[in-house]
Amino acid sequence: MPQMTRAMSPADAAPWRAAPAALLAPLLAGVLLAALPITARGAPPAGPDATTPAAAASAPAPPGEAPAASAEADAPLATPPAAAESSPDTRGLDQEIQELKKDVVDLNKDLFILEEELLFPANTQVAVFLSVNVGQFFGLDSVQLKIDRKEVINYLYTPREVEALLKGGVQRLYLGNLKVGGHELVAFFNGKGPNERAYKRGASLRFEKGVGAKYLELKIDDRQRKLQPEFEIKDWE
Amino acid sequence: MALGCGPAVPAQPPYALLGQSAPDFALHAAVGGNARLSEHRGEVVVVSFWSSRCTPCRTQLAALNRSLTTYHSAGLAMFGIGVDDDPAQAREFARSASVSFALLLDPAKGVSRSYQVDNLPMTVLIDRSGTVRTVLRDYSPESEQLYLQQLRALLNE
Repeated sequence: MPQMTRAMSPADAAPWRAAPAALLAPLLAGVLLAALPITARGAPPAGPDATTPAAAASAPAPPGEAPAASAEADAPLATPPAAAESSPDTRGLDQEIQELKKDVVDLNKDLFILEEELLFPANTQVAVFLSVNVGQFFGLDSVQLKIDRKEVINYLYTPREVEALLKGGVQRLYLGNLKVGGHELVAFFNGKGPNERAYKRGASLRFEKGVGAKYLELKIDDRQRKLQPEFEIKDWE
Repeated sequence: MALGCGPAVPAQPPYALLGQSAPDFALHAAVGGNARLSEHRGEVVVVSFWSSRCTPCRTQLAALNRSLTTYHSAGLAMFGIGVDDDPAQAREFARSASVSFALLLDPAKGVSRSYQVDNLPMTVLIDRSGTVRTVLRDYSPESEQLYLQQLRALLNE
């Protein structure tokens, strides 16, 4: 039944990228189940054959394509008039499919949130943010982050990203997991200092990871008195 | 990684990234600011891999620069990625190439590996949704014609 195959194809029913097959399968089965009663309603009262799987299966196909295969298979059922009469029902089916697609998108969004909660649960979560204030004495190029002497990220900044940070943006540089206890965060800031010279500075912080999520902020500020940039790691309590 | 330079090998394996999402990268530029591919989502992006030892690369970069001048306003972005081991040599080449797009440095060859560069010059065309659509593994007048055809088709999408 080519029509049914088309109606069930994940590529048609779910063009969004990351919806898992396991999630889509029951929803698409829902499309099929939803199609069955509509087909039964839309078919003429042609006796018990109208509710056979073959007749039901012909309904989900788009108008104009439905009679092709089913007419050959079920010629005695006089399907062409039935197909013409069932066009409002197929429109209803299209609406239902669109609603189901929306539901899948919503579920996919919820799944992403759930995934993040599962991968980074609150009791082990550590997030490191970065902000830049003024930036007159330091042009940010990259930041290397080490936690407990292990490099976790080395991020290269583009001019657009630096501009966004200078406008007040705060970037979530790293999100990971750490067990409860004492840890050390070391950040290396690479860029251009005063007079366009290559400039590299480090900052470190020993912090205690408790049972809740831990938020740390790398702050780049200008120290006007010394005409130097200042790098600080702030622990958000 | 062995990188050939010059005419294409007759029987090349199909490019595995065709139809796939283009691997994102962020690299230092030989001259100017850093660049990140994902910032150009929504534009047609041309990525050309070059080396200072590759003679056709210079000719190709000049040809690419001409196409950028023509189609920049239609939403075309372009990057050249140098695969030289020595960044100083790559910088010298970049300064002498005098092109208007960013020539990036990939001395660690991480990006070259992710794009499976097996010949130089190699040009990858990425559509507005970030999918690899065309790869050209050599440079010749014929391949330049093909490049322009493919580029116009992508810009019209």
